[in-house]
Amino acid sequence: MAILEVKDLKAYYITHRYGRTTSVKAVDGVSFKVEKDEIYGIAGESGCGKSTLLKAISGLVKPPLQILEGGVTYNFDGERLNILALNDEKQRRKLRGARLSLVPQGSMSVLNPVRRVRKSFEDVLYAHFDLSEQEFEDVVRKHLDALGLDWTVMHTYPHQLSGGMRQRITIALSTILKPDIIFADEPTTALDVVVQRGVVQLIKKIKEEQQNTLVLVTHDLSIHANLCDRLAVMYAGKIVEEGEVDRIFSTPKHPYTIMLLNSLPKLGDSSPRSSAPGAPPSLVNPPSGCRFHPRCPYVMERCRTESPDLIEMGNGHRVACFLEEGSK
Amino acid sequence: MKNGKLLEVNNLTKVFTKGQGFVKSTIEAVSRVSFALELNQPEIFTLAGESGSGKSTVAKLILGFEEPTAGGILYRGRAVANLKGRKEFMKDVQPIFQNPFETFNPLKKVQSYFFETERNFTGSGHGSYPLTDKSLELVGLSFAEIKDKYPSEMSGGQLQRASIARALITSPSLLIADEPVSMIDASLRMSVVNLFKTLKEEEQVSIIYITHDLATAYYISDRIAIMLRGQFVELGSVKKVLDNPLHPYTQLLESSVPAPDPKARWTEDIALSDLETREYTRKGCKFAGRCPKVHEICYEQEPEYHSVDERLVKCHLYAQDQVRCSSRPQIS
Repeated sequence: MAILEVKDLKAYYITHRYGRTTSVKAVDGVSFKVEKDEIYGIAGESGCGKSTLLKAISGLVKPPLQILEGGVTYNFDGERLNILALNDEKQRRKLRGARLSLVPQGSMSVLNPVRRVRKSFEDVLYAHFDLSEQEFEDVVRKHLDALGLDWTVMHTYPHQLSGGMRQRITIALSTILKPDIIFADEPTTALDVVVQRGVVQLIKKIKEEQQNTLVLVTHDLSIHANLCDRLAVMYAGKIVEEGEVDRIFSTPKHPYTIMLLNSLPKLGDSSPRSSAPGAPPSLVNPPSGCRFHPRCPYVMERCRTESPDLIEMGNGHRVACFLEEGSK
Repeated sequence: MKNGKLLEVNNLTKVFTKGQGFVKSTIEAVSRVSFALELNQPEIFTLAGESGSGKSTVAKLILGFEEPTAGGILYRGRAVANLKGRKEFMKDVQPIFQNPFETFNPLKKVQSYFFETERNFTGSGHGSYPLTDKSLELVGLSFAEIKDKYPSEMSGGQLQRASIARALITSPSLLIADEPVSMIDASLRMSVVNLFKTLKEEEQVSIIYITHDLATAYYISDRIAIMLRGQFVELGSVKKVLDNPLHPYTQLLESSVPAPDPKARWTEDIALSDLETREYTRKGCKFAGRCPKVHEICYEQEPEYHSVDERLVKCHLYAQDQVRCSSRPQIS
């Protein structure tokens, strides 16, 4: 049973200035399902709309971001819920933290620099429950113990902690209420390899203990390879390929995925590698047809005018490319 | 110029002090670091380590942004600290920074940086800028691509290449690149990394490449130094050090690089780092608190450098068997 179902989601940033309207088509017709208890990865470069997608599915829609079409349906123990249709912000606030929670990008800007870490934990817990001080300490202490964090961090200010420690606290903060589904936005970016491994270790541990579903967004394909069950690759606001992580890494189909995987350097291998020509497109004026066509080595006449849909290749592997249409 | 050293760093030490009087505390951000780059023999030298290991401080010291507390930096045989012709040094050693969007002022056109550098370098007035065109060509850009553009109108990869091109105007013999690719998109990253390789091979530029990304370090560099809390713990050719790491910290680093392969997932857990300051002020080996092979002696006595298997290792494990221990010890 899918815990999250996103259907034809279109989220644009629309601004009006001097009578001119500009729309940034950050998420343009995205559909996918996330099954219960799985780790679903979303990969893509900066500016491909992956953070906007997360904002939209967690209901954090504020102007200039607008949802033009589509729905985001959650299924919490049989209770179906369209988060975009809720028009009361209070109801959404009840959901956040308890049912779904977001591990945001950039741990320095998550924790308030002028308040001790304890205050942030108080904010989260007191928003949902009426607790006495003793109960609060018990809950937090138990959670920190489980994650291998020391109680002393509660008395520190964020600037006294290293980047890795702050990231671990951010993760602890967003999982304290045992949410059903966790969205992690670049949780390991800007951390060095050893700390990154520690954070991945922590995420795995939480998932095992709390039995929740995880949606992991990062540009780092190696992290996806290490954690995810299924992976979606985004390019310029659209999903271009989706499937089980083993299949994507062993038999990538979309030229963009192939190019991304080929450009990854590996330890113990210094054979020449190259990047694709060109740069990711601007989402204000995305290319016509298939959005990858200006950089694609296999571009055909058709790609310039028509936009390919995701085609099922078997075993849940979906690709949006005209090249695969014949071989289906 | 005769054969010799391009850059020689001897026992470089930088101490940062915090507070005053009774609450004063000091941190040795860089501690007795030594290495040398040969003249007329361009190479890419990597400084690798986790954040807070002092690798950026080394770069700042070499560039002269910070004054060393002790030790010296010799550039072409002359001390950098009291160079008379500082201008000459600055022409010959150029920095490249991490985030190209912070390197350039968002309110200034990118081309103005090129014009200014070329004017300062050649001393000639306005008019044509032949060196700008030439250096842009080297990095695979054309002047038309940056003409009248502001930094926000260019992609990260393009802008980082522009920032490298600006550094090349003065035809330097040494580039100091501090995390040059960590802010660049995955699909464009390799174009910048490949550019460094070409610069070394075709333009005879030596590069000090500072990174925490061992995969790209392996791909481009000749020699590598692994830094931990201000000290070099292992120094040698990149193939030797990363194919067969000897220091337990290098082994940890090497095994923590995620492989882009779902079949090679991490299975064993690692010990996480203590509070940074605790590691900096530790008396013995700085890695003792996290080392899987720690001995009593590691907490008390700082290890010496041992020359094992064509590299330097700072670890007690190799004290006796400098020759015997050429194979990689296993972490149980």
